[in-house]
Amino acid sequence: MTLNAEPPKMTHHRRQIAAALLMLAAPLGPLAAHHSFAMFDPTKPMTFEATVKSLQWTAPHAILWVQAGPVGKYQAGLWSLELPTSPGNLSKMGWSRTVLKPGDKVVVDINPIRDGRRAGQFKKARIVATGKVLGIGAIPGTQPPK
Amino acid sequence: MPKLRRLLPLLALALASPALAQPATDPVDPAPTAADWSAIARLPDLSGTWSPDIVDQNAQIKTNPTPWKPEIQKQVDHMDAEEKAGRPKGLLIDCLPHGSPTFILITHNAIEFLLSPGRVTILGESDGNRLRRIYTDGRPMPEDPDPSFHGYSVGHWDGDTLVVETKAILPQVYLAVSEAVGIPNNGDMVIRERIHLTDADTLVFELEIDAPKILTTTWKTKRIYHRKRQRSHEILEGVCRQGDFHDATDTWGNAIFEPVYQQDGNVLPSPPAESEAE
Repeated sequence: MTLNAEPPKMTHHRRQIAAALLMLAAPLGPLAAHHSFAMFDPTKPMTFEATVKSLQWTAPHAILWVQAGPVGKYQAGLWSLELPTSPGNLSKMGWSRTVLKPGDKVVVDINPIRDGRRAGQFKKARIVATGKVLGIGAIPGTQPPK
Repeated sequence: MPKLRRLLPLLALALASPALAQPATDPVDPAPTAADWSAIARLPDLSGTWSPDIVDQNAQIKTNPTPWKPEIQKQVDHMDAEEKAGRPKGLLIDCLPHGSPTFILITHNAIEFLLSPGRVTILGESDGNRLRRIYTDGRPMPEDPDPSFHGYSVGHWDGDTLVVETKAILPQVYLAVSEAVGIPNNGDMVIRERIHLTDADTLVFELEIDAPKILTTTWKTKRIYHRKRQRSHEILEGVCRQGDFHDATDTWGNAIFEPVYQQDGNVLPSPPAESEAE
């Protein structure tokens, strides 16, 4: 079943079903707390250089805001890159609200949002000055101890 | 010496660590022992629920006014006037937590205390958000804790008095004297509290509030809470945002919450659909 098979005017719950099927068809990695990440397209991963505007350290999802020049079909501008979870869980992964600072040059890996806006699912960032890579793993403590 | 016993493993860890020069970044708390739990029985009994003394709240506001800075007082006067004119500012209608110290200063709902080894937890009604974690395990105030609504609280028992210091409160958190009058603390607020029983069923919070961005001096005030033991006073789940929804049924027959139409925090009848308005 594909989305194209849906009638042009979907009711709200039919859209929800379509979104659920889409999620099943495109697994989104180990983390998707609070809301689905199905609005991001894992089949079109992107990597580009950008400058950190801010790390929005808020629950339920932290957001990395970066300024980038033109990237492919996208015009230069501000991107919102949504992290998969909350400051509480990110802290357990070694993140902090100061791990990225305004002005930091970074190379980011993202899955872009499907609707073409400058937004995406954050996957990792490499800080150009230090080479340090900030990634996302499983939430520590949420798995049985080995 | 439960406190020393709790700190010893940290000391041993620090001495054994090859990275001696580096501070311990993730101390490990030992499992509490039977003795740790027994020690709680020697602390003041804070069981039951505690209802705020609202008469005293109002009296405190009138007789011991907040020492607002002159330019802040202008804002407060405006808010007072607007409220009197029937246009109250809804400080808390967004359902974000009251934060400290406003939670303790103006709540009209009961609170309760949970005492556990190394911790005092204060829970309020209306959201799991209305809660405070106070660490009494001997830890120092962290150097730069993440700012939060209720801040980072470190406490200790001075005899039968719980002494608490709270820092790292988000600058947007109101220092409020009512649900319609309050000013964001704007940063650097520090709260010192002495919490103790004054008789068998009366509890007092003695507060010293330093909010250098908005106050001329330390505001010393107090709030009184009365103990209830009746089950009718037990705290019920209160979810602030539940009022933003009404009960509905989807086309599958499932029970769902459906958003209600609101404007400025007031629940209103739905506006006419565009086609009907034409």
